Amino acid sequence: MNELVIKNLCVKDRELSADAAYKGEFEYILKDINISINRGDSLSILGPSGCGKTTLLRTIAGLQNPYSGEIFFRQKNMADVPTHKRNFGMMFQDFALFPHKNVFQNISFGLEMKKLSKKEIALRVQEMLELVNLEQYGKRDIRELSGGERQRVALARTLAPSPDLIMLDEPLGALDKQLRERLLDDLRFILNRSISKIAKTEKIKSNLNQIEVNNAITTIWVTHDHNEAFAVSDIVCVMSSGKVEQIDSTENLRNRPANRVVADFLGL
Amino acid sequence: MSLKNIILERDKYLIPLIVGFIPFLFLMLFYFYPLAGIFIRSFFDQNNFTLQGILSFNLLNFLKIFKSSRILSIIWFTFWQASLSTILTLIVALPCSYVMGTFEFKGKKLIMTLATLPFVLPTIVVAASFQIIPSLIQDMALLLLNSQVVNLLLGDILKNSLLDNQFLNVFKNEYPIVMIFFAHVFYNFSVVLRITSSFWSSFSKDMKEAASILGASSFQIFFKVTLPLLRPAIFASAMLVFIFCFSSFGVVLILGGPSFSTIEVEIYRQAAHLFNLPVASTLSLSQILFTFGMMLLYTRMQKKIAMFTPESEKFSLKKPCSAIEKLLVSLSILFILLLCGLPMVALLLKSIYYKGTLSLIFYRELFLNSSGSIFYVSPVVAISNSLIFASITLIMALIVGGCAAILIKQCSYKDQNLGININSRINRKLTIKKYISSLQILFGKMLEPIFMLPLSTSAVTLGFGMIITLDKPPLNLRTSLFLIPIIHTLVAFPFVVRAVLPALKSIPLSLKEAASIMGASPFRVWLHIELPIIARALSIGAVFAFTVSLGEFGAALFAARPEFTTMPITIYKLLGQPGIMNYGQAMAMSSILMLVTSIGFIFIESIRQFGHEGF
Repeated sequence: MNELVIKNLCVKDRELSADAAYKGEFEYILKDINISINRGDSLSILGPSGCGKTTLLRTIAGLQNPYSGEIFFRQKNMADVPTHKRNFGMMFQDFALFPHKNVFQNISFGLEMKKLSKKEIALRVQEMLELVNLEQYGKRDIRELSGGERQRVALARTLAPSPDLIMLDEPLGALDKQLRERLLDDLRFILNRSISKIAKTEKIKSNLNQIEVNNAITTIWVTHDHNEAFAVSDIVCVMSSGKVEQIDSTENLRNRPANRVVADFLGL
Repeated sequence: MSLKNIILERDKYLIPLIVGFIPFLFLMLFYFYPLAGIFIRSFFDQNNFTLQGILSFNLLNFLKIFKSSRILSIIWFTFWQASLSTILTLIVALPCSYVMGTFEFKGKKLIMTLATLPFVLPTIVVAASFQIIPSLIQDMALLLLNSQVVNLLLGDILKNSLLDNQFLNVFKNEYPIVMIFFAHVFYNFSVVLRITSSFWSSFSKDMKEAASILGASSFQIFFKVTLPLLRPAIFASAMLVFIFCFSSFGVVLILGGPSFSTIEVEIYRQAAHLFNLPVASTLSLSQILFTFGMMLLYTRMQKKIAMFTPESEKFSLKKPCSAIEKLLVSLSILFILLLCGLPMVALLLKSIYYKGTLSLIFYRELFLNSSGSIFYVSPVVAISNSLIFASITLIMALIVGGCAAILIKQCSYKDQNLGININSRINRKLTIKKYISSLQILFGKMLEPIFMLPLSTSAVTLGFGMIITLDKPPLNLRTSLFLIPIIHTLVAFPFVVRAVLPALKSIPLSLKEAASIMGASPFRVWLHIELPIIARALSIGAVFAFTVSLGEFGAALFAARPEFTTMPITIYKLLGQPGIMNYGQAMAMSSILMLVTSIGFIFIESIRQFGHEGF
């Protein structure tokens, strides 16, 4: 079943100068993107910086409007659905933790927006804190946290409201190399565990069978590091200058890169 | 597109439109319209404002008043007193700013706060406290001369000759002008101190060390490295001081007496005492043009400063080590204590000193209506009026300033500007939107200076403009309770914009996006993310608006009807009335005003997040 389908998506530059806007000159940031992934897939979007990866994520999230093309999620056209009603999760490159709220309040934000009861929120936040090994950190101020801790809080915050689609925008990008390597494994582990956890709650709601549900959460991981991409996902989408160069399984990509650009970027 | 979406689409335009409409309407109605009124009245004959009148317009009409020798001497006085005040302030403040910008010591923040306090004090309080200083000096001198010690030392003859030779009288006769300069230095000391010392401390030690390694002596380093780097900061602060002294009103009006008058004071006299509106208008217009020019120059200078200032301050600060350094630090602390503390302490003392004893009689008297006159407005009424006006000002300034800040932010924010949505399905709207977006970007750049305009216009001019234009229905403000708060809002809301805008801009887009992805609607994003983050800045703006309104003198004097008398006006009137009781009450009320303003300012200083000094 196709979970997310992106059809002929084009996005044009809106960060334009007054002059360019006046003349009607627009630059394409994304050109004719076609992607379709199944429920439970883990997709990596790989490409050099400035190739439009983040814009693609933002467009899927509804933070940016497409110029043309359509995005379907579970057969529903997303064009008319505002961002806050999509029930997606996104972990930002700079984590975007709320500086005026503590760790607990950051994680509980999405749950409050869903109007959960205080008891449910407290339970869920505790569960999330345990998941990312920050049990004692609830009352900490965001400013007191180290880079790695912030990343974990951001992850917990993204997972807490049980989103239908999880997007991670260079989740390790802001960290130094040693920390990246250590946290990459952690992140994979947490994601897998949380997915099964979210799935369990999902199971009660839906009457789907266990196996299907276990792989229910689709993740999109944006990175410019091919090692990271290969390590975390089943399918990799290689992009350069606003276009999809190749979208394939990690194996196929390694063995049969579609063109020179892909091969170069993968370091083959 | 569904109906819901169309509404959503419209809302995207509607909300910013409403938000932008409020500050614009406010500025149009209460700033540009009154200024236009002044403009028209200074060029055209008042009674002849018809098509014919417009056609018969000539510049001579405008230039006519400059032939009067009285006006010319006033303009000359305004210029030279402003220049001399600026030079004196620089001479006094620069050595202190060297010390403050070089050394780190205990209680430095306290000293800086004390040094800045005069700047936020109401002019009437400054004027009142400087009015008592000569008499204080006289009292002390007489006390000294009458004491036994002096008797023994000097002998009766010498003492009598000192008392006779008019030494004190000379001082007394000359003091208005001396006191004006003193008050201006007192008032503007902190402007120079804060701007230059924060700039001074931003020089890294490396730069001086590099110069020294390259063979420069410390003398050469000062003149070839430090001074050239410091020049824009000195110029900018000097310019600001000049503007303030140029449009000085309360200080000159009260300390200068009838013999000294700045353009600002003359506008008031011409309009309020002589009812000579054309002359007042012409003077206002010339003053506006001049201060606009100066403000423009100042903003240019300020940009230069901003370019130089490195991000990391405080690194070059060191503890005073050698005896000379310690002496320097203690001397400047002592100086600041004397300069800034003494007038305030003198005022407080005068307010509780009655016939040789300490007493609260003046304060008590404020709350009693001892005079039966129907024209008498009791000080209590003035206090309550002031509080009411300040509260209204606070609310209006927050609304207008907050909306203006949001508008500036929205327009400078190309990504989400007014929700421009370039989508193929609404192609026919695309061209219009393209124009809107390009206009918007141009417009956004203009917005900030436009909202800062009222800052460069004196309150007297604002009050004058409003009285001559907004005096007939449908908008007759002349007798309205809101006239004074509106003028105060004009003066105060740019400060709210200045406080809130950086806070708004400091919120990364991703924060709002994160909230939105987690299911927060635009309104809830605003409520849960933006509002709490700018709350601190808003409260700074609020306190500022409140204290500005409490202390504002010029416009209130101009525009307030007797029943709407405010605290500063009452002080002014009490100062002008004979008798120790009136004088003491003026002192008491000045002290109350001073304390309230000081508490407000200390509150602002303590909640300000970073050590970002300057104006």
